[in-house]
Parts: sequence; C-alpha cells; structure tokens
Amino acid sequence: MNEERAEACAVLLRQARAIVDADGTGEAALEKIKGLLVGLANRGEALFSKDDYAMPDAHGRNHVLALEDGDGMGLYLTIGLPGKEAAPHDHGIWCVNAAISGREVHRFYRRTDDGSREGYATVEEIGEVTVAPGQGMTMSDHAIHATAVVGDEPAIGLALYGYALVRFPAVVWFHPAFSSVRVGASRRAEAA
Amino acid sequence: MAFEVTVVNTGATIACAADQTVLEAAVGAGIDYPYTCATGNCAACISEVQAGAVSMLPYSDNALSAVQVGEGKVLACRARPLSDVAVVWLGRGRR
Repeated sequence: MNEERAEACAVLLRQARAIVDADGTGEAALEKIKGLLVGLANRGEALFSKDDYAMPDAHGRNHVLALEDGDGMGLYLTIGLPGKEAAPHDHGIWCVNAAISGREVHRFYRRTDDGSREGYATVEEIGEVTVAPGQGMTMSDHAIHATAVVGDEPAIGLALYGYALVRFPAVVWFHPAFSSVRVGASRRAEAA
Repeated sequence: MAFEVTVVNTGATIACAADQTVLEAAVGAGIDYPYTCATGNCAACISEVQAGAVSMLPYSDNALSAVQVGEGKVLACRARPLSDVAVVWLGRGRR
C-alpha cells in the first residue's frame, strides 16, 4: 500500500477512535465519523487508485485498508458491480460508508413481528438513501439495511465497521418475500 | 416460461419460472432448502448443478469462488434456470 494512503487510513482510524472514546457510537458520533470518512473518500483516485485494487471476479469484493489492534475497528475499500445486492440485514455492529465512485442505494427497515416464531420475521421499509461521491451514510449497531448497486459503473467506497469483518457478530438476514429470518454464523468465537 | 427443477436432496421436482431463482421456487414449493442471505453474499445455499444449465445473478467473490464455479457449483439464491435442471444442495444453513 502506498505510504500516503496508509497514513491517511491510519489517521482516520485514530480520529474515529477518539470520537468513539469521547462520544460513544450514537448518531451524533457516527455523523462526525461520516464527515471524516467522506473527506477521505473525496480524495478519490489520487489516494485509492483503481490500479491498486483488484476488481471482483464476480460482482463484489472487499479490500482491507486498515485495522485497529485487538478487537477494534476495520476500514475497508468495497467494490460492488452494477446489480450487486444484499437483502435486508442487521450486521450487529455500527458502520459508516462513504462513496468514492458509483452509486449504492441503502434501504432501511424495521422489524414488525415480535420475534416469537423461530425463522419467521416481517420487516417494513422506513427510509432510503443513495450514497454517491461526496456522500456517506451511518448505521447504528442493530439497524437493518438492504443494499443495491445502481447505475452503470462499479460502486467503490469506504466502509468503517466497529469490528473487523473477520470478527463480525452473526449477521441476521430478513427476507420479506419469504417472511423469514436467517442468522449467519458469528465469526467472533473463531477469531478470538 | 417455466422449467422443471429437481431438488436431488428431496427428490422433489418443482416448476421454476425463467425469472425466478432456484431458491425462490424451492422455498415457494415448501422445500426446506438451506439459505441465509439469499442474495449471493454467503454460501449457505451453495449447490451443484447435476443436469441442465443456469444463469447467475450478481454475487460476492467470498460466497462463490472462480474455482468453485469451474467445478459446477452455484448459489441457489442467484441461479435462474436456462433449461430443466437437477440440483443438489451441499450444506445446511443455520436458522
């Protein structure tokens, strides 16, 4: 990784850590982090050259940019090709995104059933945001969102998570068409 | 247009529209097909096509590798039939 990019990513992590330590991970704190991440993403091709990151073999790939020591945050460069999507899901930890190029739609949901039936869930869409260059979005620990890459060009962006992806909690996936919920395997135990 | 999809694990043969995924058709038919994300981001529904052909909707590299594609593996949640198909799921998802 080039030194300028490595330093910029390390600075971002240090600044985000200072915010989290001082203010927690509420909406106001995540908005502050979003401002920093959008600023980093705005440096665009000068810092995150497409030549340095392999495009997906299929349609989606993540590249590690910087990780905190221990059980800390992870910063990634994410690439999604047009049509790449994810069903509504709760990844159990906060995140902040910012676009470098392309557009990704995030639709937000809330669960409407009481969770008493195993494997059954209903959700209701409550909002939508399109993340394009110059923009970002935040999600709290248990927010539910669905994603879709729209337009004709790859969506390349930055994603900062409260945990590294290799230490992610179980991701909970909701499927409105099936009125179902499925829980992926947690990576926290195996990564400990 | 619809094709016939045989789920080898259960022996059931079901109808699957050309614009429907194998997973959608199977779940709609009451088959307990394993899945988790259902959008090509995990590998819970990884399957092998034993007969026929499918096309694939977009998916993530970490759900299905190029090597696995070369071995005839697919993600049922992303696979749409191009002909009558026989498919077998290779794992079990968690609820």
